[in-house]
Amino acid sequence: MKTEVIIIGGGIQGCATAYHLAKGGVSVTVLEKDRVSQHASGVNAGGVRLLGRHISEVELSKAAMSLWSSLDEELEGDTGYRARSLINIAADEADMITLKQREIQMHKLGYRHEIMIDQQELRERLPYVAAHCVGGVVSEQDGYAIPYKSTLAFRNAAERLGATFLEGVDVARIRKIGDSWLVESDKARFESTVLINCSGAWADKVAVMMGDNVPLTHSAPMLMITSRMPHFATPVVGAVSRPLSFKQFENGTVLIGGGAKGFADRANNRTRLDYAKLAIGAKNAIDFFPIMKTASVNRMWAGLEAYMPDNLPVISKGVNAGNAFHAFGFSAHGFQLGPIVGKVLAELVLSGESKFDLDAFRIDRFERKVL
Amino acid sequence: MSNDRNMSNGVNISNDYDIAIIGAGPAGMSAALVAAESGATVVILDDKLRPGGQIYRNVTQSPLQNPEVLGVDYVKGQALVARFEQSSIDKFFGASVWHVGDNGEILFSHASETKRLTAREIIISCGAMERPFPIKGWHLPGVMSAGSAQVMLKNDGLVKDNAVFVGTGPLLYLIVAQYLRLGVKVKAVVDTTPVSAYKRALPLIFSVLPHLKMLLKGVGLLNEIRKSGTPVYRFASKVAIEGEGEATAVSFYANGQMHCMAAEHVFLHQGVIPNLNMTRSIGLKHYWCEQQLCWKPELDQWCESSVPSIAVAGDCGGIVGADAAEDMGRLAAIQRIYRLGLISQQERNERAKFSQRRLSSFNTFRRFIDRMYQPIKQHRVPVDDQVVVCRCEEQTVAQLKSGFVEGGSGPEELKGLTRCGMGPCQGRQCGHTVSELLADWRDERIEKVGYYRMRSPMRLLNLAELSLFTQVESKGTSGQESQHEN
Repeated sequence: MKTEVIIIGGGIQGCATAYHLAKGGVSVTVLEKDRVSQHASGVNAGGVRLLGRHISEVELSKAAMSLWSSLDEELEGDTGYRARSLINIAADEADMITLKQREIQMHKLGYRHEIMIDQQELRERLPYVAAHCVGGVVSEQDGYAIPYKSTLAFRNAAERLGATFLEGVDVARIRKIGDSWLVESDKARFESTVLINCSGAWADKVAVMMGDNVPLTHSAPMLMITSRMPHFATPVVGAVSRPLSFKQFENGTVLIGGGAKGFADRANNRTRLDYAKLAIGAKNAIDFFPIMKTASVNRMWAGLEAYMPDNLPVISKGVNAGNAFHAFGFSAHGFQLGPIVGKVLAELVLSGESKFDLDAFRIDRFERKVL
Repeated sequence: MSNDRNMSNGVNISNDYDIAIIGAGPAGMSAALVAAESGATVVILDDKLRPGGQIYRNVTQSPLQNPEVLGVDYVKGQALVARFEQSSIDKFFGASVWHVGDNGEILFSHASETKRLTAREIIISCGAMERPFPIKGWHLPGVMSAGSAQVMLKNDGLVKDNAVFVGTGPLLYLIVAQYLRLGVKVKAVVDTTPVSAYKRALPLIFSVLPHLKMLLKGVGLLNEIRKSGTPVYRFASKVAIEGEGEATAVSFYANGQMHCMAAEHVFLHQGVIPNLNMTRSIGLKHYWCEQQLCWKPELDQWCESSVPSIAVAGDCGGIVGADAAEDMGRLAAIQRIYRLGLISQQERNERAKFSQRRLSSFNTFRRFIDRMYQPIKQHRVPVDDQVVVCRCEEQTVAQLKSGFVEGGSGPEELKGLTRCGMGPCQGRQCGHTVSELLADWRDERIEKVGYYRMRSPMRLLNLAELSLFTQVESKGTSGQESQHEN
């Protein structure tokens, strides 16, 4: 099977890239070893967050945010996106100092989307917050979307534009012969001019087959969701210095995250949870919001997610072969970036360049110089 | 037995039991008695306050003045429960197990805390649940399962007057008979066993003759109901519950015409299916059983699952009934103590013979019952768009259909799109229906469609309880000599 572009990995990055390429009139095939959106893209916390981004991600994240606000219309789908604002809570004065330093840095760069709030405003915005919390920082455009639906919306839109999605295709061999990429699973062979690696927790294996080494690790960030509770929090909530993040959905259920990691068994597509760590997460949630004492946990799970040593993604041209591209290693904060990453990769494929500074995301940024 | 406690890293990973048993019904209690006398350290956990499981619920402390009205099959459990209560294994009642890992980790809620223990070998015997009856109006207040009628009766001695009982299966007739014996008025019995079931079961009649006593017991129940003068509508179909906001009537087709009978209380029942949430959450392999029309964990002759350290015994491994459950429990325990090195292979094989023989004889009778009381398709796989499939998230057939069209072709994908199966019951009520619906829509075998991917906690878990985390240590008491075996 021959196509202009092959994308390996049917997560949100791969689906969004397929969408933008198909929109640009390119024939594209997505190879997914399991089911589209089965792993991190389908089971993450759904945070659509600009707040607290690493400086080198701010421009991308801002651009993504403006895409999110009209994504449902663009994709003719339902991503479940809601702008609810995101507040990171300061539990003490030390947290406020951390926030102040960040504010100075952001203002220097001309960014004004993160706004510090005092204790009174914190309580107005989050009436159920614990009394000891002293303030925080808010970003108004932030919110959440439903991950599985969002990824599927990209896939469906891409398919309507002619993209092909093949599930259950586990890539075993990749060769570059002349100008062609030859991609083989145990059952089928594919050929393309351009190859894009969006394979998340498996991206290092794919990168090696493409000729690029990368120090990727993988882990299993854990989440839990409660059964429906009376409405008590509109904004998405995080904490400045403690591993806590949660959001209450419109149906009353509360999703509790915070980055605690379970155990990843990548070879078997499985995760194992670390319940003692989840217990700490439960304690944190109650500490910040005493009303959560009455919550009932309905589900706990983890997804297989890829991490880079600096917790920044790879969004990059391949180094060792032409017509190769990578987007992976989002280190548990790639969901919000999905829409813009798809657009950037499509631009890189079509024009060879991007208006964004992608230097911090080079795949070879950890290669040591030989002295 | 392990004694490598107090590992240097400070994590108590080795305060373990040799055998943990989850569920103290006939299978769990029998397993416990075998395990206790072997010298293994044994713990048993059950979410009720007393042993007995559903079948022998409260059998030694019945609120009824005369528990004999519930039948000999109930009161005979007294002996087993008494023996079990005397055994000296660690017992946790009111312990709601919400996680079992294939690594031997067990987490449970007990006395408002989360407790953790580990076990080398695990026996899961958490029983059956009633098969959902997804028809129009089954979710309305006033409609209950016949099993919950029996729970009210056994727990608190409570009954509902003038109720209509609808469905099929021995348990339905038993509960009606129990009601009648207590002098409660039953408005009608709407029996949905189809004519075809008799035709299917008839060829097996000779193979069940050795179980004539059980057969006659069933016939006796039906006679008891008939003699009471309770109206019985046989070969009924097209059952629906009428009413806005609550049940006011039940409609059905029987004797060549539609009936609509006023009813405030409707009890539904069409057999039981394995309680899957635990075996599914662990990730054990399951298969679709055509004979019983349900998912079952794959088990070998020792009730051993696809994870060798975990056995599944009793109805949660496939519906077998209380007597066969005892044999499964014993076999599972015998294999566990063999794996622990406490008995030789020869000894294992010797001790297993009795239960193995009994089990194979029970199986022939079970095949007859399964054919006789197989629930009809229209009451398992709803076609009416308005029927609620997922009660927790209130998802109807129509909503699931549109999720299916959107790309929800498997149970997990459909869950992601519609929230069907995401509510507090974790798919217990809709899992089988969704598998069967999707198999129909895809025109594929149900095994290809599969089931929800289950996750912990297996039941709702209070967040405050989760935040209090304790390790349970084995007291190291091995079971005292028990004179009972087989």
